[in-house]
Amino acid sequence: MAEVALERARHEPVVIEEGWAPKIVRFAGKLPVHLILALIGLFWLVPTAGLFVTSILAPADQSAGGWWNFAIKPHAWTFENYRSMFDNEGITHALVVTAQITLGATILPILVASLAAYALAWIEFPGRDWAFLIVIALLLVPIQMALIPMFSLYNTSGLFDTIPGLILFHSAFALPFAIFLLRNFFAGIPRDLMEAARIDGASELRLFFKVILPLGLPAIASLAIFQVLFVWNDLLIGLVLTQNNQPIAPHLAAQLRQFGSNLNVLAPASFFSAVIPLTIFAAFQRYFVQGLLAGSVK
Amino acid sequence: MRPEFPLEEGTRAQPPAPWRAFAVPLAFLAPAIFFLGVWLLYPTVRTAIRSLYNDRGDTFVGIDNYRRLFNEDVIFTAIKNNFLWVLIVPALVTSIGLLFAVLTERVRWAVAFKIAVFMPLAISLFAVGVIWRLMYQQSPERGAINAAIVAVQGVFSEQGAFTQAQPSSDQLEGRSPRAIVLAEPVQPGDTALLGLTGVRASEIPEGTPDAARPEPLQGGISGVVWRDFSPGGGTPGEVESGETALPGVTIELRSADTGRTVSRTTSGDDGTFAFEDVDPGSYRVAVGPTTFAAPFRGFNWLGESLITPAIMFAYIWVTAGFAMVIIAAGLAAIPRDVMEAARTDGASEWQVFRRVTVPLLAPVLTVVFVTQIIGVLKVFDLVLAIAPGSARDNATLLAFEMWRKAFSGQLQFGLGSAIATFLLLLFIPFLIANIRRFRTEAR
Amino acid sequence: MRKHRWYLLFALVLVLSAVAAGCGGDDEEGGADTETGGGEAVSGSINVLAVWTGAEGEAFQAVLDGFTEQNAGVNVSYQGAQDPGQVLSTAVEGGNPPDIAALPSPGLMRDFADRGALQPIDFARDAIADNFAESWLDLGTVDGTLYGMFFKGANKSTVWYNVRAFEDAGVEPPEDWEGFLENASTLQSSGVPAYSVGASDGWTLTDWFENVYLRMAGPEKYDQLTNHEIPWTDQSVKDALTELAKVFSDTQNVAGGTSGALQTDFPTSVTQVFADPPKAAQVYEGDFVGGVITAETNAEPQTDFNVYDFPQINDSGPMVVGGGDVVVMFKDSPAARALIQYLATPEAAEIWAERGGFSSPNRNVDDGVYPDDITRQTATALAQAEVFRFDLSDLTPSAFGGDAMFSILQDWFRNPNDVDGAAQKLEDAAARAYG
Repeated sequence: MAEVALERARHEPVVIEEGWAPKIVRFAGKLPVHLILALIGLFWLVPTAGLFVTSILAPADQSAGGWWNFAIKPHAWTFENYRSMFDNEGITHALVVTAQITLGATILPILVASLAAYALAWIEFPGRDWAFLIVIALLLVPIQMALIPMFSLYNTSGLFDTIPGLILFHSAFALPFAIFLLRNFFAGIPRDLMEAARIDGASELRLFFKVILPLGLPAIASLAIFQVLFVWNDLLIGLVLTQNNQPIAPHLAAQLRQFGSNLNVLAPASFFSAVIPLTIFAAFQRYFVQGLLAGSVK
Repeated sequence: MRPEFPLEEGTRAQPPAPWRAFAVPLAFLAPAIFFLGVWLLYPTVRTAIRSLYNDRGDTFVGIDNYRRLFNEDVIFTAIKNNFLWVLIVPALVTSIGLLFAVLTERVRWAVAFKIAVFMPLAISLFAVGVIWRLMYQQSPERGAINAAIVAVQGVFSEQGAFTQAQPSSDQLEGRSPRAIVLAEPVQPGDTALLGLTGVRASEIPEGTPDAARPEPLQGGISGVVWRDFSPGGGTPGEVESGETALPGVTIELRSADTGRTVSRTTSGDDGTFAFEDVDPGSYRVAVGPTTFAAPFRGFNWLGESLITPAIMFAYIWVTAGFAMVIIAAGLAAIPRDVMEAARTDGASEWQVFRRVTVPLLAPVLTVVFVTQIIGVLKVFDLVLAIAPGSARDNATLLAFEMWRKAFSGQLQFGLGSAIATFLLLLFIPFLIANIRRFRTEAR
Repeated sequence: MRKHRWYLLFALVLVLSAVAAGCGGDDEEGGADTETGGGEAVSGSINVLAVWTGAEGEAFQAVLDGFTEQNAGVNVSYQGAQDPGQVLSTAVEGGNPPDIAALPSPGLMRDFADRGALQPIDFARDAIADNFAESWLDLGTVDGTLYGMFFKGANKSTVWYNVRAFEDAGVEPPEDWEGFLENASTLQSSGVPAYSVGASDGWTLTDWFENVYLRMAGPEKYDQLTNHEIPWTDQSVKDALTELAKVFSDTQNVAGGTSGALQTDFPTSVTQVFADPPKAAQVYEGDFVGGVITAETNAEPQTDFNVYDFPQINDSGPMVVGGGDVVVMFKDSPAARALIQYLATPEAAEIWAERGGFSSPNRNVDDGVYPDDITRQTATALAQAEVFRFDLSDLTPSAFGGDAMFSILQDWFRNPNDVDGAAQKLEDAAARAYG
């Protein structure tokens, strides 16, 4: 199922050209639908807009009244909160940590997973199907299951509160899905291509780098986007496994207790932390949707 | 269903040397085995075992920790809430996704709509929590939802002059927001003293004079309403110097026998009022309830009873876009001619939808539905970010409770392990279904 | 897993040998110890981990700088952590704790002492006894051994009020509980709710309860309740709850009413008292309220805000409920000992006291160094208190005092007349937590 959808998403629907008159008639006939959709769409945007407007208000204005009163008063807007956010060492440090983790925990699992996926798709060995079944089973292991033992293990091994520690944890939990997705994608690579390369005497490694990786790029891209969003947005893992090197979400979570009076810190930082994934989402939307379609089993 | 990705592929051109049959794939699989072994398999086994030990981990306690899941109120609430979530949310998300997908199907600007609905999926659930916590603030001056509700409501109701006022002494009966009535009946020619407290000096219009005892009125009833308070309290029931008049208060004259209101007036700028030409008889003077009519302040979204629906709604806001995109892709895959055939047979749009589209979409809808069940069982960030401390016990879910018991300073590792294991057990049916599906597809 | 155990065993052996070495060294260094802050040259480098971050971290660094000035041979590196309990409990498991740490509660100290992770600091007993009231010494003792020295204290028996609201209502800070309740009714008549309660943070409710309970039941019962030697269904608990219900059931007199208070976090409960117009006339909490007022509002001391001691009940006399951060030693070394000795001196405390935001439990601290009258008042009340008791919820198992107690009291706050129900729930939760 997932792969069908993935396939579909690649073909944009064909638009048939037609005259103006029928278009207008049809538009008028569907006016209620347009209206409803416009309202829903607006409703979907309002909450995020509210956070943004709140983030550009002076603390006094934030507590003085609702953000909607200032939505159309540009003179009340100020980027002071953002400036003090970048002066806030705790937050900048958290952002740097988050970026480092995201980078590491995106590249590493993709590398490890594509190696494994290649083996599962194209190298015949006894127990291969069982190995893949285990991967599928591991897809559903909740993170909660690993927290307590890993917390203890991290503390004894010195990985607690370190960036490598977080990267490794994220990478491991990304693997089942990554292997699953890539294996299915790699398996779809035309066999003649592989056969031809093998007859040419290419080694498995060479095959992997010269044939599989380039052809698998679309799936890898989807996976990368997914992983970037997942790691960047993580709260739970960071909350448990870090103390002073907290990523942004766990770092901000500490501010939540004082929601009423901390909006001048919380609002800009939350919005800024959302801007990065939103940009990535906007830039690579197509891959994101593809990954989503393929990943709807997770 | 899998046109492009055959599972029986990749047979080798030449049979490998026996040792290579394992060595090569093992080399490719080794890093993954290491990661999955250390970070997933080991802790899963370890947590399951740990759940049978006490919180310190030094005493075997059997299934005691699992008993606590059902005996401790808060954890049991989490189980109940998880149940509610599974019951309500996936169905709602799937229906909303279906609705959106169908609505946008033939709208030219659907892309813009889809982006708007889809966007929340890219934002961290933590930021989503902050966004909605802001929306749900109770005070209509801060929370957008209550502000909207109050704005609509405000069109239909009016606010009283002094919403917090109370009687100053037992010369008056009743309490706001109901009417406050003078205990002693009055006759024409009498005066009525209505002393109120609980009025802020700043609530009274600037320039209002001190209250004065009113002159009796021939054949009528006169009186004064005033802020019966001077620093330290003053003497209740007496008009003293420095006590300000209260203008704009609704005064009712009620028949002492029937209790029915016979006349109504409003206190003047100096707090006095007068009912002229009153028929002889016994009357009671009251401060009408409109004076105390407090404006509707919206719903207590973050309070104990609405917090779970509130968090559910935020979750739906995030995931509706996911459901919409998947279902829209499924919709695009339905052969047009089937629907056209139904239409030519005279089926209405609704019938086409109900009898053709939905059945054909069933596999996609199932995928969305199941994905949502799994997603719902993992909800953690939203509870942490949206529920204020006082409502966490009402909002809690298993994934959240596991963290709270084990890590938020409590270090109850035995109990936390039991919650995690219980959560894993809830996933097992889906795990089996996944494996089944793979095996049938592989065959 | 097996490998993990080996690690532990290895760490254990290391710790034990360190302990043995430490004990051996005890006698020889006894002479040097009496010379506090003196010229005995110690050297080495020590790690210090404490709860203080941000401005507090800087202030503590200044205190440590004072130490290194006297002991040029010692290299002190400081690390602040918001939740040192978590870091430490696993650093201990891993066998690499810092030399010295400041813990946010004596409960945590007891945990570590029970695990055998702490080194006794009996060598500093005399210095501590000279400078601190006996109750602080008792608090630092676990099973007869002294492990902790309270460097920073908090006075949680202070009521902060809006001076103008008090003037408008014509009320003065009350002498006792009756006066407190009378004031409340007068304040309400004047149009301002008397109480601001940050009930969204459960600990504000436990602090209310502790103050009322200590005053009504007395310190002995307070200690018994702390150790769960009497049940929470004891009449004394019910009496205290009934008395406290006089405040909480007066919902018209609580800013925002019951539901509003339950969504008010602690900082907001403070700022709303000093908003214009004020949403309430006074807020009860610890001395740290002063810091919130100065940081978040424009209110000026004395003219806009002021403070009075939590009123006595039934002639209980002045009593203080409070908190404190306790300095403990994980690894014994001459340098670590010298630092403990140093932190016990009034001079060390004065460095921070001068900077503000600090109450020292050290009674020999010159109160002239506090930057303003209000801090001086609350800090002096703390250090000189006849009866001081540590925040009860911090002394109970954290599953109770850091969690269950919060939510049970929040529940009770919704319906303060159900005293028996609340007491029963507290007892059930306590029974579970104490195990």
